[in-house]
Amino acid sequence: MILNVWKTQQLGIKTIEHLSMVFIALLIIIFIGISIGIFLYNRRNLSDVVLNILNVIETIPELVLLVILMPFLGIGFRPTIVASILYSILPVARNTYVGLTQVDQQYLESARAMGLAEKEILWHVRIPLALPLIAAGVRIAIVFTMGVVTLGGLIAAGGLGGPIQTGIHLYDKNIIIITGLWIGILAVMVDSIGSWIEKRLNRRYGYD
Amino acid sequence: MIDINIILNAVGEHLFLAYSALFISIILAIPLAILSLYNRYLASVLLVLANLVQAIPSFAVVAIVVPLLGIGFKPAIFAIILRIILPLFKNTFTGLKDVDFIYIDSARGIGLNKMEILRHIRFPHAFPAIFAGIKFSAVIANSVAILTSLIGAGGLGELIFEGLTNFNIPKVLTGAIPAMIIAILLDVSFSLIEKRISLEN
Repeated sequence: MILNVWKTQQLGIKTIEHLSMVFIALLIIIFIGISIGIFLYNRRNLSDVVLNILNVIETIPELVLLVILMPFLGIGFRPTIVASILYSILPVARNTYVGLTQVDQQYLESARAMGLAEKEILWHVRIPLALPLIAAGVRIAIVFTMGVVTLGGLIAAGGLGGPIQTGIHLYDKNIIIITGLWIGILAVMVDSIGSWIEKRLNRRYGYD
Repeated sequence: MIDINIILNAVGEHLFLAYSALFISIILAIPLAILSLYNRYLASVLLVLANLVQAIPSFAVVAIVVPLLGIGFKPAIFAIILRIILPLFKNTFTGLKDVDFIYIDSARGIGLNKMEILRHIRFPHAFPAIFAGIKFSAVIANSVAILTSLIGAGGLGELIFEGLTNFNIPKVLTGAIPAMIIAILLDVSFSLIEKRISLEN
């Protein structure tokens, strides 16, 4: 039964499609998120406004965000990636910003005493020490992106959301159970990898 | 254009679906958290489960409910509860548990029993955390309630899905824009209440 569904619904190819969309979205999210975090660190008076705007975007239901982008971006791959990005920038940007601003005073003082300039302190002290927190933000972003990409199946983006929709339309319980559980397992696996990376960074750069 | 009554109707259905599920989840999560406070085994199982389930996309949760309960309003409520009950539990539990031991010790010292400590010490201290959990869950409930239209629960999502099948973008937007406004209003009002609570404490 499992093999049958796996074959007819091409779950193998869909999984690759799914994960590659998540991966592309994540690369962009990490890049934009960290850049916004560093930007806000340099312009702290803007941080409240920007983080609040990102926060509001995050309360919008995922599917609604996807379909609102349709008039501008059409259907399929592009709105899915853009929605994932809009949705997941907040955790990365906020954690980067918080990580950069909350570096323990003792490290900053020793860096200054060594004669490092503020810019050098940013790159050699603040960013490394913020890495565990940034990783935690990326991990949240992974969870969000998995969710949005799954929904992308509803607007013809491919990935594993498509077979679920097919299953619901045909009321085919086998397809629904197998694809649904597979997405669940995949999400938990990807999240565990994220959690492992976060732990390693914490051991390397964490405070305690 | 689409009749305004249809939209209002859909808004009503949507709100009813999302908030009855939220209400039931709160009623279930708080006793669970209290039980876990006195049963370490239950607590650790539920916490592990809460962390795992958080990673699973809402769409998969909604889909898995179909083979179990079929389609319609009740399975939709069940799906939303599945999605939000564990985060609610987690926040309530950590809120109740992380009360500074000094308070509990002094409460014991003046002779309060377990129930009284729970009522007069733990709950007042946990209230901000519980409220943060409710806010988070309300946002998720709002989001999942859109998805459950796919399994025949009606509401704003139905307008979106009908529009998607005919590629009728205006119809999609008549479902999407009210949903977006509800989400933003929700967030703003919850944040205002939250501010007030933190001022009082």
